[in-house]
Amino acid sequence: MTIENLQSSLDIAGVYFVASADFNPLLPSQSAPIFTISIGRWDVIVSNHMLVVAAAALLLLGCIPVATRPRRTRLGGASRSRMVPAGLANLIESICVFLREEVARPVMREHTDRYIGFVWTVFFFVLSLNLLGMVPSEKIIALLTGKENHFGGPATANIYVTGGLAAVTFMMTHIYGIRQQGFGRYIINFAPRAPWWIMPLLYFLEIITAFVRPFTLAVRLFANIIAGHILMATLLGLILVFKNYCAAVASVSAVVAVSFLELLVAFIQAFVFTFLSTLYIGFSILPEH
Amino acid sequence: MTFFSGSILAATGTSISSLSIWAVMLGCDVIILAATFAIGWIGSRAVESIARQPEAGARIFSTMVIAAALVEGITFFSLLICFLALYWMR
Repeated sequence: MTIENLQSSLDIAGVYFVASADFNPLLPSQSAPIFTISIGRWDVIVSNHMLVVAAAALLLLGCIPVATRPRRTRLGGASRSRMVPAGLANLIESICVFLREEVARPVMREHTDRYIGFVWTVFFFVLSLNLLGMVPSEKIIALLTGKENHFGGPATANIYVTGGLAAVTFMMTHIYGIRQQGFGRYIINFAPRAPWWIMPLLYFLEIITAFVRPFTLAVRLFANIIAGHILMATLLGLILVFKNYCAAVASVSAVVAVSFLELLVAFIQAFVFTFLSTLYIGFSILPEH
Repeated sequence: MTFFSGSILAATGTSISSLSIWAVMLGCDVIILAATFAIGWIGSRAVESIARQPEAGARIFSTMVIAAALVEGITFFSLLICFLALYWMR
């Protein structure tokens, strides 16, 4: 029984999972220590989710500049650069254009180009974290090397990872607002215009909103991803409950179908995270009236 | 699930009371019902408005996706609170 293993990490979505010791489909969703870095007096314990976050960052830092670099073709001896993107560059550019024109420009209007870098970064980072969570990397490494390991896993299924992303959005919202409007005007425009006797209540509500919004961002992303993985783990656990091949066929085909749904959810949740971050930044840089 | 909390207790051997499981499962039932209705309404209104004006289809679709994701966010908060209640109020 891996009850104590589950209790230690899935303490928010605490699921009692009837599993044998070596079959825990929810294992990648739990953060387990991989190695420890000692910096002076402090020990930094690196977990599998931290490795996935680093891997997603390196993947994006490596792939996107390489894919979107200017291309040259040789046409009868003379080389000219191609303005029309193709392949991966086309995919990245069409996503970026969609985010800039349909998501950011209606909200931020003339300041879009200053803050679009953050919007693009958030979208691609959350999307790559969600999609890397659908790759069963610890099983692949176990098949290749024969050793049980704990690499990889859905990083956004960890409330602390999504909390960190939401904390970054929180900080950038206020930093961008203060940089755009100046500190004094930002404080004055924090609450919309209202009769003077209701302004204290409005300020109180706006301050609560400022903390609740990133919290909802974090919990929405976390709950969607972990719910998908819990559903897949439960469907796989039905194999243990029924213990015959028909159940295995039905269960695995259901898991395949749910995996396709999870891919859709990965894209949708990345888009919603990005859209709401853009909305909050837009509210903070443009005084609402 | 709501009605089988006694057998659930026996299977997992935990100290969560039967009443607690009843309450959580009843809460989850209501949450799921509300979420189903909400997302169904959003979807049907979106389909109607696309039928009225097909050239606004892309905008309506992305608005529908955003609204559905917000409703789903609320659903998941409530489900998480239900699960928390299961472990905090034994």
